[in-house]
Amino acid sequence: MAESLVYLPQSGDWICCSCGDPLEPRDASVTYLEGGFTIQVLTCPRCNMALLPEYVAMGKMLEVEQLLEDK
Amino acid sequence: MTAPTGSFPTTSLCPVCLRRVAARRECDGPDGYVVKTCPEHGEFRVRFWHGPPGLSGWNRPKAPGEPPPRLTESRLGCPHDCGLCPEHGQRTCTALFEVTGRCNLRCPVCFAAAGEEPGPDPSLDELAARFTSIFEVVGPVNVQLSGGEPTVRDDLPEVVAACRRAGFSFVQVNTNGLRLADDPTLAARLADAGLASVFLQFDGDDDACRTLRGAPLLDKKLKAIDACVATGIGVVLVPTVAPGVNDGQLGDLVRLARAKAPGVRGVHFQPVSSFGRFPWQSGDGARVTLPDLMRGLEEQTGGMIRAGHFHPPGCEHSLCSFSQPYLLTGEDGLSPAAATGKTCCSPAPIAADEGARRAKSFVARQWAAPTFPPESSGPADDFDRFLADAATSKRLTISAMAFQDAWTLDLERVRGCCIHVATPDNRLVPFCLYNLTAADGRTLHRGRQP
Repeated sequence: MAESLVYLPQSGDWICCSCGDPLEPRDASVTYLEGGFTIQVLTCPRCNMALLPEYVAMGKMLEVEQLLEDK
Repeated sequence: MTAPTGSFPTTSLCPVCLRRVAARRECDGPDGYVVKTCPEHGEFRVRFWHGPPGLSGWNRPKAPGEPPPRLTESRLGCPHDCGLCPEHGQRTCTALFEVTGRCNLRCPVCFAAAGEEPGPDPSLDELAARFTSIFEVVGPVNVQLSGGEPTVRDDLPEVVAACRRAGFSFVQVNTNGLRLADDPTLAARLADAGLASVFLQFDGDDDACRTLRGAPLLDKKLKAIDACVATGIGVVLVPTVAPGVNDGQLGDLVRLARAKAPGVRGVHFQPVSSFGRFPWQSGDGARVTLPDLMRGLEEQTGGMIRAGHFHPPGCEHSLCSFSQPYLLTGEDGLSPAAATGKTCCSPAPIAADEGARRAKSFVARQWAAPTFPPESSGPADDFDRFLADAATSKRLTISAMAFQDAWTLDLERVRGCCIHVATPDNRLVPFCLYNLTAADGRTLHRGRQP
């Protein structure tokens, strides 16, 4: 298993809009079907909501989802 | 016979006189029947679903999404107002244009009854105008150029280019492959014009070809595959499956496709229907149904493909098709690439327009020439590795579609159809209705004006 990948926003101080706590880099699991891997993203320490930067959501993650999409 | 275990009201036509009749879709154990009575021609009870996976568990409900464009009004009622009329429930995912009525074969089985008194071909200008008109209505759907045999047109590359210019990005030709095998430049000219894929009639061995096509054609078909693959055109093998003819060749067809993957992108089985030209007396007889195909694939591939891998479609009506993309594994293996066994157990409804979007993008991605993972330029991360493993060059789809004829017609199914024939007068008619013929060969829509 490769060490976890880091996908943080390119700028800004980020605060969880539900809890008001500052986000911290933490590991999160990305799961597709039976497989998956771990990435590091900004996460709320209280509610665990993770911030996925747009460049990941609209980039590699979108590509993966399109490949998994079936009719 | 056991008592029916469920019944669903629908509407159909009498296969003799084509009058509209009340009908019901009846579950009898795992089997499904269309049952209807014509006041003049009596009762018809035709099995359209045979054996497990049973009819009752095979469902992928659609929630209404953005409605399809309305091109006609409701006057006489479905299926006479196509279309699409306000009663239709699904958007176009594939628009099919018949670019010629001529054919270089005279197949005993032909849904289009091609070659019988063909009219003049539409001119290139006429086709270009039709492409533009339909694009304005339905946007960038997938296109199939069909016929007749499209490759008998010497200007087919120009037709493909005109279709691309109109805005359609995924253009596929339905073909018997003979000219692609015989003309060493045709595939390249079609690829240069922007053709993404061919839907290649491919029924199995020479015996199957003799029965269904009137000639031994396997060698030509293999040459056609090679010609297309060499020029970057995706190839989908399309067997017409007839009972007792080639329903024992399902496994061989999958193995051949596997051996020719990734150039061959998929196998799309089409059980034979009783419309157009067919050599048997009536549509009452034995049929190959979708569950027969699923089980046959499992038996004939030694369980590499399993009936449980398949799921109902998210775009067209659940009872019309099944599919599964497979990953190429090892030397000659296949393993399911998408979730299995999860879609038909209490599935959440999918919005019809979202189902159409997904099916459209899946076909465009999977049936075009394969994409290969980029050469690594720098450190690959887990996303990159996942993408490389799942690249379309490592995939083959297995799918099937069951058409409805005058005997099995179920208008509730038809209203969920997403494969529409674009008529010369720029209407869109669900594929089965366009090709439907009565017992005496009379057409419902083909060749008729509203």
